[in-house]
Amino acid sequence: MYWAANAFIFRRQDSFIHRLDPRVKLLFSIELFSLALISSNITHIIIALIAIFSIGMMASILKRMARTLVFSASFSILIFIINYFVGYTIIESLVLAIRFIAIVGSSSLFFLSTSPDELEHVLKWFKLPQDLVFAFVTAVRFVPVLMMDALQIMDAQKSRGLELDRGNFLIRIRKLAPILIPLVVEAVVRSGELAEAMESRAYGAVKRPSSLYGLKLGLSDKGLIVISLTLFLLALIYFFGYIFPNIGFIV
Amino acid sequence: MIKFSNVSFIHPGGTKALENINVEFKPGDVTVIVGANGAGKTTLIRHINGLLKPTQGNVTVFGINTKKASVAQLSRRVGVVFQNPNHQLFSDTTEHEIEFALRNFGLSDEIILKRTKWALEFFDLADYAQTSPMMLSGGEKKRLCLAAVLAWEPDVLVLDEPTVGQDLIHKEKLEQIIRLLLTEKKTVIIVSHDIEFIWPIQPRIIVMTGGDIIADRKAADIFEDGNIISKARLVKPQLVEFGKELKIQPQKPFSNINAAKKWVLSRVK
Amino acid sequence: MTKIIKIEDYSFSYIGASKPAIFNIDLSIEQGEIVIIAGASGCGKTTLLRSFNGLIPHMYSGVYSGNVYIDNMRVSETPIIEIAKKVGYVFQNPENQIFMFSVEKDIAFGLENNGFPRDEIRERVDEAMDILKISNLAYKAPHELSDGQKQRVAIAGVLAMKPKILILDEPTSLLDPLSATELIKVVKNLQSVLGITVLIVEHRLDLLSSVADRVVVMNKGKVILDGPTRQVLSNNEALKAGIGIPSIIRLQLALQSSGLNFDETAITPEELSRKINLI
Repeated sequence: MYWAANAFIFRRQDSFIHRLDPRVKLLFSIELFSLALISSNITHIIIALIAIFSIGMMASILKRMARTLVFSASFSILIFIINYFVGYTIIESLVLAIRFIAIVGSSSLFFLSTSPDELEHVLKWFKLPQDLVFAFVTAVRFVPVLMMDALQIMDAQKSRGLELDRGNFLIRIRKLAPILIPLVVEAVVRSGELAEAMESRAYGAVKRPSSLYGLKLGLSDKGLIVISLTLFLLALIYFFGYIFPNIGFIV
Repeated sequence: MIKFSNVSFIHPGGTKALENINVEFKPGDVTVIVGANGAGKTTLIRHINGLLKPTQGNVTVFGINTKKASVAQLSRRVGVVFQNPNHQLFSDTTEHEIEFALRNFGLSDEIILKRTKWALEFFDLADYAQTSPMMLSGGEKKRLCLAAVLAWEPDVLVLDEPTVGQDLIHKEKLEQIIRLLLTEKKTVIIVSHDIEFIWPIQPRIIVMTGGDIIADRKAADIFEDGNIISKARLVKPQLVEFGKELKIQPQKPFSNINAAKKWVLSRVK
Repeated sequence: MTKIIKIEDYSFSYIGASKPAIFNIDLSIEQGEIVIIAGASGCGKTTLLRSFNGLIPHMYSGVYSGNVYIDNMRVSETPIIEIAKKVGYVFQNPENQIFMFSVEKDIAFGLENNGFPRDEIRERVDEAMDILKISNLAYKAPHELSDGQKQRVAIAGVLAMKPKILILDEPTSLLDPLSATELIKVVKNLQSVLGITVLIVEHRLDLLSSVADRVVVMNKGKVILDGPTRQVLSNNEALKAGIGIPSIIRLQLALQSSGLNFDETAITPEELSRKINLI
């Protein structure tokens, strides 16, 4: 449970990466995500992975990323096995397995280094409707809270003799009721209280709420946008150059 | 008998929650654990029924090492009532809610019937037997959770903040129940901030800060020590404060209103 | 002294309820009073509180009769958004009121919703943090805060709106006694320095009784007692209604029933001991 909680949940930290404008962080994630998807060449995928880990290291979130990735490694192995048995070669299966890790890693980079508040600013910048943005950001804010609820509920029910790890599949499913019902009830109660608090603090009073902070691209932000876009384009050319050798000009 | 021997506990995230804890809880005793939020109180009580296992040291409950027993096995003898009733209630009726644990522990239908009936009546919930637990008020839900635990007659009762949101009538009932359990030689352990509630019970008080036990004394002694009181984030019970301000001070602090009344009347005459 | 809250023969039943949650309520509260609203669980306290800031009837519909005026605004005809400028409601569970990931952003929430200009938001947020003594927590995230700190953040968020009335629903339930005492001092300060009217729902009256001007006791949907603190807390009806009368007052009542006479009810141990010392 702790593993899943650690995967995508933002924890306040100070690093060069954390301090960047969230749009830049989003750009990095999208670039790396795309690189992971574009090519089926094993070298390319590994390059993408290295890039992901380097940024993770710069942000000092490598430890937390590592925990998620160990968790998704098992799923990754599953991908490898299935593809190998379906008929793909070892290398091809490996590429698919590693690609999964790269995808998880690149998204994790963004979510681990961007606070829900920054996320809100980014979504607003994309001119998404206020209600949608608020709903999404609030969900991100409360996911860890609901996880804590789930843990506490499991503790409470275990203390009443509930044994979750015994019995066959069907029995175990039925045993989930004492966990899921309180969880859903608690989530509903929370949303009710949130709604009350929102109303009481004048949510929706004005069509376009103002903001204590705004997004502003600093010098390092602008510099990194240029550098990363350049590297991205170079990588694309390199990758595509490989896939379509008759078009490629560098490699 | 519950024994903590050199118990330390580190959360998976790396934070140390308990530091070399050595403490025993004996039958017939009531202990209140106090301390600031984050001091380790809830971590400690989770070790008693095996929800958490020590990273160092051992916890033995009636001779059984908690590392070698499941939470279900330990819960048969250690009943824990958690702070938030919403984290437990899920059945369609109050009656079924009480039966849940009894069924989990494999008790016979006959006993289940008997104990459920007792629990509903003793806790004034008989009228709600067929009602959904979700429809009860906050105070009633807390009562239901306590009823559900006492229904299986554990030897140890652990209560996490039992008086939050409760009115006077139910706090008095809770006091009665605790006294009754003590006469039956059960062990009672309470985590609470409510000094006015715990004071008349005159419990043993354990003060925790930063994962350490910094004091372990009788209530009357704890409230003599100003240093400990502030470290434990407590204030003196009103009756104790009152006794201290009197010109002629009583020999020992007043444990309840009757004691104070008798003393004052005798001095005034 | 202006009556900042005026309630006339007010009753309310939630939709689908067989009987009213509260009925025939008559209540007036002066500006600048600290009022405790007490009663056993289920007595209608929360319903009453919701009526003050417009949650009833605008969010919770039902059968509404009588009048509720907040600073001369009729609640049933004023949108919550307007009432929110005058009434700040701090709910019981601070976790479910902190929306943002940093303390200062959360305190700014209400101001942002109202479209205040950035520099004014900055000023008010800093002021609110200063009053609640949480300026050092400005950048912290909710999970890094203790319950007591979360409580203060919730209050600061409401205070930044500069309300005339502050409603606190069981503000000390999660707090240790020392933090509770500190919070109550802050509340007293808000009243004496800023002139805010404070309504507090509480079960633990031993700490609050010395700062409250007035106590309103509810039972089964009705107001059964309403008067100055000393008077109400020493009334037997209050004891019967199950509210948490402080032990020192109960001691005095016990002494009185045994023949000892006191001119006034003491509400702190010091007061009572002084009276006894004089005898």
